Amino acid sequence: MSQLTLEIKQLIIDALGLEDLGPDDIAADQPLFGEGLGLDSVDALELGLAIQKRFGIKIDADAKDTRKHFASVDSLAAFVSASRAIA
Amino acid sequence: MSAIRFDIDQWQAWAPGRTCQDDWSSWACASQWQDDPEAQPDVSFLPAMQRRRLSRLARMVFAVARPLAEGQPPMPFVYASRHGETTRNFALLSDLAEQQPLSPTQFSLSVHNAIVGLWSIFQSDTSEMTAIAAEGDGLEHAVLEAGMLLNEGAPAVLLVIAEESPPDAYRPWIDENTPYALALRLTKGNSWQLQLQASEDLAPQPHEPHALQLIRALLHDHSQFTHHWKTRKWNWQRTR
Repeated sequence: MSQLTLEIKQLIIDALGLEDLGPDDIAADQPLFGEGLGLDSVDALELGLAIQKRFGIKIDADAKDTRKHFASVDSLAAFVSASRAIA
Repeated sequence: MSAIRFDIDQWQAWAPGRTCQDDWSSWACASQWQDDPEAQPDVSFLPAMQRRRLSRLARMVFAVARPLAEGQPPMPFVYASRHGETTRNFALLSDLAEQQPLSPTQFSLSVHNAIVGLWSIFQSDTSEMTAIAAEGDGLEHAVLEAGMLLNEGAPAVLLVIAEESPPDAYRPWIDENTPYALALRLTKGNSWQLQLQASEDLAPQPHEPHALQLIRALLHDHSQFTHHWKTRKWNWQRTR
């Protein structure tokens, strides 16, 4: 597991209060919303805020790709890496 | 002056170190009471995904309300708290002052009726849910509200009064620092009556939340007591 993947998993657990879960309980390719981890729309906003704060990147809530970036831990890690590379 | 009449079918209370009737009995008999301010009520009956966002205040409310609602048909819920989610509100105001973005979770759950909303979702109960923020006599105002719901035909009303210890910044202005929650299941009847009487004199400062006085009365079968708040005198009477 890459350092960034682990960091994002821990961020999800802390920011969303998933007190019963550990990083190993979230598969990196597991869908975060709906069927997978079962997060909801308030979680989406909370996680967006946590990602912006932690990694200092800007997320456009209306952008077409935002939904794609938030699909799983893997896609979030790719998004954070790409945003950091630009900045 | 007319009185509100009702039965207290069942009650349940929680405070740090007092989780069952035996704890409350020992508390009522003791002159001094030591408690653990960090104690958390047990809400393990809630699925983890629903439990995770609940503040301690919400957990206290759920912990006392649940045993009274279990196995019962849907019923209206009257929730009263003088200060509500001050911990969440203070966190939000602090973020605003520091020009930080606000947490959507904190924001959505900071309003006074958030807890009854969560209760409604958890219980899948679409009955009338009311949230009251009154003064030091919030309990009596909640009973008045419940009395009107019973009068409208509700077979039973769940009433919860709860208070959380305020954030440190508010403590100099808030007298009640004792966290507690009390749930009553009220039904139509004549065992209790509550009457409001106007008073010329101002009430002395209470030394404990008034709802705890009701717990003493419930435990010891006191037949009568008065709660004097500002210029309002509430006479509680147990007729049988």
